[in-house]
Amino acid sequence: MIDVKGLCKSFGDNHVLRNIDEHIEKGEKVVIVGPSGSGKSTFLRCLNLLERPTAGTITFEGQDITSARAKEVNKIRQKMGMVFQHFNLFNHLTIIDNITLAPVKLKLMSKEEAEKKAMELLRRVGLEDKAMAYPAQLSGGQKQRIAIVRSLAMNPDVMLFDEPTSALDPEMVGEVLDLMKQLADSGMTMVVVTHEMGFAREVGSRVLFMADGHILEQNTPEEFFNHPKNDRLKDFLSKVL
Amino acid sequence: MNPMLQWLEECGDSFYRAFIEKDRYLAYFRGFRTTLILSLFAVLLGVGIGLILALIKYMANHMKKGVILRVLNWIANIYIAIIRGTPVYVQLLIIYFIIFAQLDASPIVAGVICFGINSSAYVAEVIRAGIEAVDGGQMEAGRSLGLGWGQTMISIILPQAIKNILPALGNEFITLIKETAIVGTIAVLDVTKAAQNVGVITYEYLPPLLITAAMYLVVVIILTKLLGIFERRLAQSDRR
Repeated sequence: MIDVKGLCKSFGDNHVLRNIDEHIEKGEKVVIVGPSGSGKSTFLRCLNLLERPTAGTITFEGQDITSARAKEVNKIRQKMGMVFQHFNLFNHLTIIDNITLAPVKLKLMSKEEAEKKAMELLRRVGLEDKAMAYPAQLSGGQKQRIAIVRSLAMNPDVMLFDEPTSALDPEMVGEVLDLMKQLADSGMTMVVVTHEMGFAREVGSRVLFMADGHILEQNTPEEFFNHPKNDRLKDFLSKVL
Repeated sequence: MNPMLQWLEECGDSFYRAFIEKDRYLAYFRGFRTTLILSLFAVLLGVGIGLILALIKYMANHMKKGVILRVLNWIANIYIAIIRGTPVYVQLLIIYFIIFAQLDASPIVAGVICFGINSSAYVAEVIRAGIEAVDGGQMEAGRSLGLGWGQTMISIILPQAIKNILPALGNEFITLIKETAIVGTIAVLDVTKAAQNVGVITYEYLPPLLITAAMYLVVVIILTKLLGIFERRLAQSDRR
């Protein structure tokens, strides 16, 4: 589904990603872990071109997106949901408008259809009573669940998560992870950058370890956590587990 | 007679001649209406041009710079440098001679264009700062949903930036009301010019000017108060 070849990204002299090759299959739940500054967020942001790769190609559903025109990139992004560390809900809009804005503006659904779909999704996450609230009235965990719903309303083929629980108070991490688990169980293709090792172990179908802009090791969660081979990974796991 | 009382009586007479006699107050009010209309349209024009300048400068700061954007940014910078670097009085005369000499338009139009252009250079900075103050994640969220740059700007960034921008625009309007006092130079009958005209008729120059000053002061105080209430209203929706 996503095919990455020779991906490099540098900011000036700072080489964040060095020649990354990676292939993500439909239905996979790829979890990316690694120390901060290792390039995992940048890698994720390259996948939907929020960061422009310096070199290399990314193919999504058979289409080379690195050479796509701006209009096509917008189309591609509709199929790739993204959830941010800081939620990035639209603060001036109610929850329902947050969810329906993109599908309606992009003429994918009528306002009625979009609202129906939004309410359905809100019911699924147990937040239908917040439809008319503003983001400022919600807790962090609720905001992040809404942000996930907002992405889902676009019917994406893959969901990208950029440290979705890092900005949350500890007691709210669970509700967001639960929703992500539900999503994984429903068969969604997911790429998740996270520090939640429990989540990686339980939900991931494959875990990637990134450091210094390279993918140093990848394996099934079982092998990854129980029999790490790379020394950097062993060191990393000894600190976080 | 008490000299104090005598002085007061003379003042009263002066005021009567300057303001009441032959319905002269109508001239002041008509003049002030011109001042307000001129300022209002100038601010609107300033916001229009200022918004375009602000967007050019914002794009130049945040996007990959193409040749067109570079040239536009360069033009915008020169425009702002010239407008802010020359006296508005000189600009007024230049624009008056360009427009009036060529088109024979009403001097009010020349005034609106001059103060509009002048205001735009300042408004551009106000709007740009207002847009910059919106969190960068908002643009990323919009783009990640597949919205275009322009769509995100219009439906997500600008509605949030307006909260930062409106109070500053109110201040710009208040400033402009005072600045337009020089517009009499190009034969616009604003309130200052009206006062001068009354002075010419009554041979007493001071009383009409004091009356005019009082009118500016009252209106500016009222507008400042309104703006304060308005700002508090805007802040309220943030708290919730």
